[in-house]
Amino acid sequence: MHTRQQGAVLFSGILVMLGILVVIQLWLVTAGLEALLAHETAVLVPAAVASVVLLAVNVALLRYVVVFDARVRHEDRGPQS
Amino acid sequence: MPDDPKAAAIPRWREDFPVRWDDDNYLTRRELAKFLTLGSALLAGASGVLAIAGSLRQTPAWPAAIIPSATALLPGTSLLFRYPTEADPCILIKTGTGELHAYSQVCTHLSCAVRYETEGNTIACPCHRGFFSVADGRPTAGPPTRPLPRIRLESRADGIYAIGVEV
Repeated sequence: MHTRQQGAVLFSGILVMLGILVVIQLWLVTAGLEALLAHETAVLVPAAVASVVLLAVNVALLRYVVVFDARVRHEDRGPQS
Repeated sequence: MPDDPKAAAIPRWREDFPVRWDDDNYLTRRELAKFLTLGSALLAGASGVLAIAGSLRQTPAWPAAIIPSATALLPGTSLLFRYPTEADPCILIKTGTGELHAYSQVCTHLSCAVRYETEGNTIACPCHRGFFSVADGRPTAGPPTRPLPRIRLESRADGIYAIGVEV
């Protein structure tokens, strides 16, 4: 399989993962708001920590995408002297 | 005429459409990944703000207020009073076994006034048929999802006092 085609499949997979993680973060925010309004403050800090961990995973995935993209572009251009 | 011979070799239309057709999918997917990560950062920030707001919220100091006629309450009946302010209706319940429980009278669903039902020993909201447990105020049936705020009671020599609200 050509590297560009591999990249397209990889991008699709990573986009699905990013989307799922963002939806989980959205759920954490709504659950946190509900807990704050119900004066159940004990769950707010763990929810924030979990959200930050998910953000770190998302940033790592984005970095992987950018690095992979740069490599594919470099290979497409070919060796330049 | 441009001085650079390379620039002269590029057709004019390429300046308006600089992205190759097969690169187009790649470009939009990369932008979407960046957009999702930005959204992720905003949501993490929102969770952090909620955590800070929760830690800054202080527990108010509740006044002690005597509940008139509470000592004369018969088992299986209830009494209405107001606590901590005149704008906060509450209900004091004496169960058949003689236990005293007090809750806010405002239903946590849509703020109707709840009432004690001796049959079944339950707190009921007549508006949408919501039911709460007399023992701990938690919803047992119907649309309410949050428990009734509990009024803490204290028995003193001169009567029953309301001394705080547990939300």
